[in-house]
Amino acid sequence: MEVNVKPRDGLQLHAFLLIFIVHSTQIGVGLVGLPRIVYLDAGHDGWISVFLAGVLGGVSLWFMVKMLGQYDSADLYGIHADVFGKWIGNFLSLMYMGYLAAAFFVIYINYIEIVQVWIFPNLPTWQLGLVLTLLSAYAVYGGIRVVVGTAFLSVMGTLWMVFVLFVPLKHSEINHIFPILDADIEQILKGAHNSSLSMMGMELVLFVYPYIKEKQKTQIFSQIGNAYTAFIFTLVTFVSIIYYAGGSLEQTIWPVISLFKIVRLPNLERFEIIAVSFWMLIIVPNLCIYLWAASKGFSRIFAGKQKWGLWILVSLIFVSSFFVKARYQMNLISDIIGKFGFYAAVCYPILLYFIVSAKNKYFRGKNNHAKGS
Amino acid sequence: MFKWKKESKSQEVFKAHSLYIDELKEQLKNELLYSDITFRHLKKNGNRIVFCFLESLIDKSSLDEFILAPIQNNEKIEWSVQGFTQVLPLSVLTVTNQLSEIISGLIEGNVYIYVEGDPYGLLTNLSKTVERGVEKPETESNVYGPKISFTESLVSNMNILRNNLKDPNLCMQDLVVGKRVKTKAKLVYIQGIADEELVTTFKQRISELEIDYVPGNTVLGHLIENNSWSVFPQLMTTELPDRISIALYRGKVAVLMDRSPDCLYGPTTFFSYFESTEDVYMRWNMGLFLRVLRLTALFLSVLLTPAYVAVLTYHYEVIPSPMLVTLGESRSKVPFPPVFETLLLEFVIELLREAGARLPTKVGQTIGIVGGIVIGQAAVQAGFTSNILIIMIALSALGSFTTPSYLMGTAIRMIRFPIIIIAGIWGGIGIMVAFCFFIIHLLRLETLGKPYLSPVYPLQWRDLGYSFFLVPYQYLAKRPQTNKPVDKERFSEKKAKLKKDIDE
Repeated sequence: MEVNVKPRDGLQLHAFLLIFIVHSTQIGVGLVGLPRIVYLDAGHDGWISVFLAGVLGGVSLWFMVKMLGQYDSADLYGIHADVFGKWIGNFLSLMYMGYLAAAFFVIYINYIEIVQVWIFPNLPTWQLGLVLTLLSAYAVYGGIRVVVGTAFLSVMGTLWMVFVLFVPLKHSEINHIFPILDADIEQILKGAHNSSLSMMGMELVLFVYPYIKEKQKTQIFSQIGNAYTAFIFTLVTFVSIIYYAGGSLEQTIWPVISLFKIVRLPNLERFEIIAVSFWMLIIVPNLCIYLWAASKGFSRIFAGKQKWGLWILVSLIFVSSFFVKARYQMNLISDIIGKFGFYAAVCYPILLYFIVSAKNKYFRGKNNHAKGS
Repeated sequence: MFKWKKESKSQEVFKAHSLYIDELKEQLKNELLYSDITFRHLKKNGNRIVFCFLESLIDKSSLDEFILAPIQNNEKIEWSVQGFTQVLPLSVLTVTNQLSEIISGLIEGNVYIYVEGDPYGLLTNLSKTVERGVEKPETESNVYGPKISFTESLVSNMNILRNNLKDPNLCMQDLVVGKRVKTKAKLVYIQGIADEELVTTFKQRISELEIDYVPGNTVLGHLIENNSWSVFPQLMTTELPDRISIALYRGKVAVLMDRSPDCLYGPTTFFSYFESTEDVYMRWNMGLFLRVLRLTALFLSVLLTPAYVAVLTYHYEVIPSPMLVTLGESRSKVPFPPVFETLLLEFVIELLREAGARLPTKVGQTIGIVGGIVIGQAAVQAGFTSNILIIMIALSALGSFTTPSYLMGTAIRMIRFPIIIIAGIWGGIGIMVAFCFFIIHLLRLETLGKPYLSPVYPLQWRDLGYSFFLVPYQYLAKRPQTNKPVDKERFSEKKAKLKKDIDE
């Protein structure tokens, strides 16, 4: 397998699009329940946890881009093959593909559940599931250009939702966050750790990197994307904490959607219904980009066609959605993937960075920087 | 066998005609079966001349005046090709003896002059085409701007364009469209502005067409599009010469085709269908207002009626209670579910539009009044629809008619139907599914290899001033990047932005 990917000219993306790739992948279903999850761990200091998680994401991102910078234009699949050799490398790549597909699955199943709870209690999971998988497959069929395009348009199209937060701000009580740093460090760190499901997404840089035109700008733009996410997440958590009374935040499973309830326009009420529908625009690029990265593996590892990989993944995901029936199963899966995601998206790239650096240092004399091997 | 066929064909192409007039006549009659081919003979000293032409295609008075009269009046000249070239007052004379060349010449309105026994004859163009005069634009009418539109004649269309743009770099390359009927066409662009690659792509796509006959530029557009399954048009046709002139200087490439009263040009991105030439003639801030109005109308037109269906079928809690009462009252007599009600009324509107478009103008107006007042009022009173829905349908129909391009307007009206149906099935979620689908679909489309949603994605800041918003002229120093123009600057940006000090 070639370590470096050399996409043709028309497929290359401007580096500033990384802001949208990173940000739109990080924002997703996780955000909807985030304030409650951190509140359970860190109490009213939850927003500090979220902020810390953002910083941690930035650190991990820094290591990722540094690692990628040691290659010409490689993606994670190529790096695995280069560092670990064919067998172990491909095994790790397969594992990572599995993680990407699982992340897709979690987003997809969670969104369908939200829709079932808030709008259509009787909607069968498979119907919306089928539509969502087909939509994302249709986008992935268009290639990286279309996938990134959906991310871009989704971020632009949902910018207004940030301003909706001002409405609950009017009804909130700032004293809810005092005293600051009431929780101890361990609780805050635990909250940060538990918000990792929502923070996942920056690892996609590992796959998009070969398609970036100005590679030296990767670091700055992906960091901006991550910082923007951290800002939004912290803001949302902050607003939720000061808006809800302590006990009610614990009992509200999707506090962010409930935040929308208070919004009232002269001709519209119950804004959360519109918000839940609109959330699909946030979900779709998420699904597309995970599906794209996972199906890319098929052409990289097995030298097969990405199209086939795409259909295999889509049908696998669609079929497995039949096995998830109850809320507790979904919670379990989300928890497992969230934990796994913490290691896959945050810890593993840092570890890999040190392995790659060590390898390059050791082999520099023999192998000339591991380029083009 | 295939090879043999090819050979026989190529042999046929290079075939000289017979040296005897009677045989020549037979040959021509065999090739042009049942046509109005006419022969005129002259005799002198045992020499015979024949003039062959299609009666319907040539200008007979010029035949008499410029060919027959000089030959009959000049007793002295020798009857041969050389002799005729001395006396015939015609600028273009072609010497040939190839049967196929003569046939295609005759079809184009040439006269073939042949002296019996000579190795060659003369072919000269005396064609007369029937064409209407230059008229005001009808399908794309403007309040401001030049009141002239393209006609069916290629030559006069070229004339209009050349007169608009007196620029030596204005190129008009010859093209032939179609395999059986070979229609003349011209590829128009500005050398030094239009991207070479764009010109080649356009030329290649047209010349590689393996089709018998192309009836016009709109059809040519459909034939060379990237995605023929999509409802969205990917290449635009216009009847306004000034629109083409403006487009050419933005680095676009156009095609003029004979017998086609409109001009095809590209690349035309999604947002360029919402541009009217009038926006350019207006002051920029008014133009901006109109542009934004049209884009808002697009969203209203696509989403308003589906939203009505979604809200009334599933999410009535979204509507504040005072409004809900009015809505409920208005709908209380209606026995159908909202989807059916909406589809019915949308259907009526489409019927009215189609009937108005097919009928002569005067009757069309009556139809509009009949439809608008009688059907609308009666439908409400009969309890078929609610008043509020009529308002919404009218709004969304109006919205779709504000689109300057008729094709795009039709596309917008068409996509409304599936969205209404899916809104009837899944409410707000359904609308979002459709919305996401159309976003992905538009992202996937291309126009002549350029992204269809440009300049929004891929984002080109400077182009937004051309196609999405309008900005004052000093900020439009660069040509749109989407077309990848060779010469990027329209004028010096620095000079335009020079500012004087107070009292200087």
